[in-house]
Amino acid sequence: MQPLQPRPHIEVDGLELSYGNVPAVRGVSFNVLPGEQLTLLGPSGCGKTTTLRAVAGLEKPTAGEIRIDGVPVYSSARKINVPAEKRGLSMVFQSYAIWPHMSVFNNVAYGLRVRRLGATQIAEKVGHALDLVQMRDFSGRRASQLSGGQQQRVALARAFVFQPSVLLFDEPLSNLDAKLRADMRIELRDLQHRLGITSLYVTHDLEEALAMSDRIVVMRDGLVEQTGTPDEIYSLPRSAFVADFIGAANLIRGRHRPDLAVDDLVAIETTDVQIIYGMAYGRTVGPEPVVSVRTVHLKISLQPPAETRNVWPVRVEKTVFQGDFSQLHIAWGTQRLIARCAAMEPIAPGREVYMVIEPRRVVLLGAE
Amino acid sequence: MAQLINRNLTRRRLLQAGTAITVVPFLGIAAPGILAQGQTKSPAKVLDFLTNADVAKAEQEGQLVFYCHENEAGTAGIMEGFSKDFPKIKTSYVRAQTGALYNKILSERSAGRFDVDVIQLSDLAPAVDFQKKGGYEFYVSPESPAYKADHLSTPNGSFFWTGVDPAGIAYNTDKIAAGDAPKGWQDIVNPRWKDSISCKIVASGLQFVQWYTLRKIYGAGFWKEFAKLNPHAFDSRVQLFDRLAKGDDMITAIGEYPAYILFKGKGAKVAFVAPTDGLVATPLVVGAVNKAPHPETSKLFVDWAMSKRGQAWYQSNPNLYYGSVRTDAPPMPTGVRLADLKLLYPADWDDYAANREVFAKEWNGMLGL
Amino acid sequence: MERHARPVTAATVPAGSPFAVQKFAGYGVAAVAAVLVLYPAFFLLQAALDVGDPQTRPPTAYGLDNFSGLFQFPQILLNTLTVSLAATVMALVFGFVMAWILARTNVPGRRTFEQLMAVPYYLTPLLGALAWSLLGSPESGFINQVWRELGGQSYLININTPYGIAWVMALFEGSVAFVMIAAVMKSMDPSLEEASQIMGASRVRTMLRITLPLVVPGVLGAAIFVFAEMLGSFAVALVLGLPNRYYVVTTAIYQLVQQYPPKIQVAAAMGVSLFAVMFVMLFLYRRVVMGGSYVTITGKAFRPRVADVGPLRYILLGVCVLYLFAAVVMPLATLLYASVQKIAVAFPAAENLTLDNFRTAMSMNAVRSALGNSLLLGFCTATIGVVLMGLLAWLIYRSRLPGSGLIEYIVMFPQAVPRLVFAFGMMWAWVVFPIPVYGTLWLLLIAYLTVFLPLGVRTIAGVMLQIDKSLDECAQMCGAAWAFRMRTVTVPLLMPGLIAAWLLLFIASIRELGASILLMGPHSKVITPSIVESWFGTSSELTATLALIQTLVVAIAMVVLVALTRRVAAQPVD
Repeated sequence: MQPLQPRPHIEVDGLELSYGNVPAVRGVSFNVLPGEQLTLLGPSGCGKTTTLRAVAGLEKPTAGEIRIDGVPVYSSARKINVPAEKRGLSMVFQSYAIWPHMSVFNNVAYGLRVRRLGATQIAEKVGHALDLVQMRDFSGRRASQLSGGQQQRVALARAFVFQPSVLLFDEPLSNLDAKLRADMRIELRDLQHRLGITSLYVTHDLEEALAMSDRIVVMRDGLVEQTGTPDEIYSLPRSAFVADFIGAANLIRGRHRPDLAVDDLVAIETTDVQIIYGMAYGRTVGPEPVVSVRTVHLKISLQPPAETRNVWPVRVEKTVFQGDFSQLHIAWGTQRLIARCAAMEPIAPGREVYMVIEPRRVVLLGAE
Repeated sequence: MAQLINRNLTRRRLLQAGTAITVVPFLGIAAPGILAQGQTKSPAKVLDFLTNADVAKAEQEGQLVFYCHENEAGTAGIMEGFSKDFPKIKTSYVRAQTGALYNKILSERSAGRFDVDVIQLSDLAPAVDFQKKGGYEFYVSPESPAYKADHLSTPNGSFFWTGVDPAGIAYNTDKIAAGDAPKGWQDIVNPRWKDSISCKIVASGLQFVQWYTLRKIYGAGFWKEFAKLNPHAFDSRVQLFDRLAKGDDMITAIGEYPAYILFKGKGAKVAFVAPTDGLVATPLVVGAVNKAPHPETSKLFVDWAMSKRGQAWYQSNPNLYYGSVRTDAPPMPTGVRLADLKLLYPADWDDYAANREVFAKEWNGMLGL
Repeated sequence: MERHARPVTAATVPAGSPFAVQKFAGYGVAAVAAVLVLYPAFFLLQAALDVGDPQTRPPTAYGLDNFSGLFQFPQILLNTLTVSLAATVMALVFGFVMAWILARTNVPGRRTFEQLMAVPYYLTPLLGALAWSLLGSPESGFINQVWRELGGQSYLININTPYGIAWVMALFEGSVAFVMIAAVMKSMDPSLEEASQIMGASRVRTMLRITLPLVVPGVLGAAIFVFAEMLGSFAVALVLGLPNRYYVVTTAIYQLVQQYPPKIQVAAAMGVSLFAVMFVMLFLYRRVVMGGSYVTITGKAFRPRVADVGPLRYILLGVCVLYLFAAVVMPLATLLYASVQKIAVAFPAAENLTLDNFRTAMSMNAVRSALGNSLLLGFCTATIGVVLMGLLAWLIYRSRLPGSGLIEYIVMFPQAVPRLVFAFGMMWAWVVFPIPVYGTLWLLLIAYLTVFLPLGVRTIAGVMLQIDKSLDECAQMCGAAWAFRMRTVTVPLLMPGLIAAWLLLFIASIRELGASILLMGPHSKVITPSIVESWFGTSSELTATLALIQTLVVAIAMVVLVALTRRVAAQPVD
């Protein structure tokens, strides 16, 4: 018996959106469960921001359906399009969109004033919200006098002060410097958990997505490449694009050798007539199978390793020092692979070494 | 001897005029009755003149809208005279050169707008045309007997000659010595004046008269010779004399006597020549307009303008200095009587009117338009 | 965890009309703009195609004869081209030189000079033409009188020639060239030049090879725009060209309309032809500016490199002072000088000096009522205009209502039509209008709102576009409806732009000539056409006096208004 699934809070169904003749979103579907953070991740131009804005009501799709709490707010079939201000959502913009002519207090209070709350209630809620983002002291300041990070916090306070059930985030951290970004990531995550708000988050930053999300939707060219938890996306990429986008991966092509299959492993014969063992993870082996191995999963050792499967002698062509780790460029027969190793003694170019790959780290990609 | 208006407006012509009116429906008025309205009333005396207008009603109407060809100061001057005598009546005016003014009136009326009470034009032809179109209110003023029939509309009741604007030749005395000065009209085509002689623009009634009359006397080639001098054309006599006084032009071919008096008074170095053939002159005609917004006021104004006091005002106001054709008019401030001057008018006003297109084409072409 | 702010169930919101207030305001204001512009344009076109009896309305026959008749006036067309080209070239030179000096060199007092560059525009080309006529007439001009005193022959300058006309046009109507070129110079990324210098190129070489080519599209755009403006110029040619029998299309139209019988049809055809040329020019302008491939205008405001020109900067300072002298100081001084004389000469005798002109001017009822009307009209035009044009700017550039692109064309249409020509169409259009606006100040108000549409919308749009869309979108996400957002977010942010537009409209309506001169009625006289009438009908001394009075009144009004708005803007928003 299936465990009882909570009804999804946001449902996007077959969404299509074109700007004139240029398609930006070409059929995107996903669900966001109550209280979870779902991140739309992808390179620029993949349609993630457009999708978010369509959910918000700031863009008009050309086809598909969007439901919030089961109620359609957009439906091309039923000709429904609820305006943004009536959808009851909330949003944090990439540029923060802080109103320069108002004080911090009034910025945050705006949504409450729209909902015609009384002055005491407003003061209380705004104070509480500012506390949560540690901006209480700035309450009376002119909004235009704040730094980027401070504006970011005010934007956040403003977004959740009226207790929306859904928060939309449009790359909110991309304008901050690296250190601030890393800190804010954690804060945002904590806040979201504390308030239990359902979040739909858009970013192009891989680390951010992996750190903050409950689930990730990887998008490319207006379509969904893969949906899953961060771990799934990372460990079990479904396509070459996802494999390479989520962390660096080596892609190895070959020929299926079903005659060499052993246990539940799959054998792929490369063009150099090397046999590499991997796992199918439920995917069917196509005519031209491709396996993906993360760079961190190539184990390099100077001595012959103990394993017997997936062991080869290889030659190091180049070592690139990167501080916490080093990148080794390996010649494996005619193929070039990249291995990421923890900081070690530098290996001279041309040195012969041994490479071991755990078969379960060799992931069969889905057929194109 | 002043040449007179054509007396040949026969009954037949009047009937023709009558039929012409019915062909012009968009002016939106009935044919003016030959039987004058309000003739049965006996005239009242107000100030020192007679009027058939209801003065009390006029003062109740309280406004007079006057369209005039005069320059700003002149038009304001006329209005000032009337306002002094009838302070309860507020005056307002539009001024434009006769051609432009007449256009404005016609286009307004053809659109159904009747905003004007009285008009004054500096050309007889559009006045007659307006009369034909039934634009004037038919009103015979009790002051009419003081005027010769030539100086009234035919039949009387549409307009009258409120004054005459005579013009001769004027020149800048610094630029031209007395001995070299022109003596007659034929002298204005002297190549000596090339690029330094002025005249008026095509919309001017007086200019049209001068063109017509001198052409009749000296032939069609006269103005072609004149054209060779590249004359500068202007809207108003004040402008002409302004330039003359400053030396921008040496000489003007159409120096109006009133302007000469005005500028001489300011100390300008100008001299006036009355050519031997006579001064060209155009009648300045005033008439009350049909369907006026303030009908009693318009009649009152006509009577005032025709009266001795009105005429005295027209003659003595420094922005006007008209010559009065009223039979009992006093002399002009300079002591000259209009009757003493030799004036050139068109012999045949109909032929004159018919030549307007020819004049416009030639004059515009001369001026580079 | 509470769940507030449920969305309105979709079933209760009918499809297609959730933006009710927005649509009403948007389409309402679009309809107003369309009527203002297209209604007179129709009549103008109708008159141009009317080949029947000119006295009969509506027209009896249509044809193209009027247009073929234009070929009888080749001289006029040639004159127009000559003067416009010369004026454009001069304006570009002034604009470029001044822009370069004020934006790229370390001349002292740069900020002040930049603000002073706007003054010739406020002084109006009419005043400039009057003043320069007094200065440069071959016989009576002050400069020439001084020249002769110094022993020169005949005259030094003759302002009544095509180049004289172009000179005055460039001085007083060409300041837009400066504004556009300065904007281009300021938005250039200085790193582009720095890269050149690092590679060893001399400053001159950098200027010629890098700066100049990058600036060219902006300058080209300015050239096209200025040329289109000069084609429609009226006041200068009227004052300086007419006396010398030198006609351009606008003054020819004016003369043709004044005659009896008027040549309305030919004039309308001339006007429509002029419009066609200007339209093509402005179309080209959009192409050049919008479609340019040189990426210098990145939207960021750069601080351009200011070159240290050493002692040269005092010479450049002299150039700036000279320009302002020619465009502001000398004309004003000349008018003042003329206004206190009976007959204006360069070296007046003591008895020639008088204050009579001022006495006459102030006592003339026409002048007082004209000034009063102008101020009242300016106030109303500016106030109504700001609301109307603000909504239009929002409609065209920010709303997503369908058809907004078309409205942009309609709103910019008056830009391509000379005011005088458009006034034609307005004259016919509003004379037949059932509500009696003809001959009243209402007609002038309608006319001003129509011809200032491009000016107002452009000004407000410029500010509006700088406001990030996300500021409005965020208010939407907070649940605010359109009207609430306008009131609390858009309008407060726009306020500086709205105030600037208000002032601009106020000035523009007081200095308006081309439309007013045709549409004035007995009760609706305004000041600038009155000055022109005075020029043609009274002495030049009185005219100079009137021009000075007008300038003074406008200057006082401006000072008061700027002081007021500064007080308002300084108040903190709560």
